[in-house]
Amino acid sequence: MSNTEDTTLANFKIDEKLILVNESADSPEEIIRKLGTLLFDNGFVKDSYTQAVLDREKVYPTGLQARMAGVAIPHTDTDHVLKPAIAIATLAKPITFQMMATPEEKVQVEIVIMLAVHDAKLVIPVLRKVIFILENDDALVAMKNATTKTEVKTAMLKHIESMNKKVK
Amino acid sequence: MYKVKIVVVCGSGVAMAMHAAYKLKEKLEAEKLSVHIDGSGNNELPGRIANYDIVVSNVQVTVETNKPVFNAIPLITGVGEDELVEKIIVKVKEIQAEKSA
Repeated sequence: MSNTEDTTLANFKIDEKLILVNESADSPEEIIRKLGTLLFDNGFVKDSYTQAVLDREKVYPTGLQARMAGVAIPHTDTDHVLKPAIAIATLAKPITFQMMATPEEKVQVEIVIMLAVHDAKLVIPVLRKVIFILENDDALVAMKNATTKTEVKTAMLKHIESMNKKVK
Repeated sequence: MYKVKIVVVCGSGVAMAMHAAYKLKEKLEAEKLSVHIDGSGNNELPGRIANYDIVVSNVQVTVETNKPVFNAIPLITGVGEDELVEKIIVKVKEIQAEKSA
């Protein structure tokens, strides 16, 4: 039971209820809607959140090519968020996202990490740890290979723990 | 020594810009360079850009500027980071040389 309980990191929830494994989706919009629904149904975000993420993704896309995986980190303004959380999806087949900073370029995304941030200043150390996963080859591989929600969550928590000395 | 002012830009100027800004600050301070680094949202940039010497951005910079603009993504993914930091170091030194000339 203990390893399936919610984990609080500076009030940031990484919860198995917010994880999808080997999920099928055909477009960024479809996977953003699925993760947005999980965040909304579990009371982390307002009903305006998903549309706000979709709108922002059009203007400021969030696809990134890390060494070991294509990763997208959709997010939006704090107004749409009630409680901070991270929703994660690993994809059965990669989805084409536009790249952050150079939207004319595309990236094949295998992992989507959707951030719900209610107060950026308060959670920035945790957020920074989460974003550092892009540089953690072992963590990205573990996440891509995960077959259960627990494995995805464990990969993220193990990564965050490894960052505790690096990021204060 | 002239303190070179760098602004790191993202969509809203919080999470992604701050992450890249912290990383860049560590790298430049390790080189003992005199710099000041802030984060900014893309929307605020037109009003703030005059105060900075260098722009490093996670988003397409929409304001017209003749200041040097660098793509911040290598600081976020770690891919090509050393090369980017090296380019910024060269630019910082160039600006410091100009200002003290």
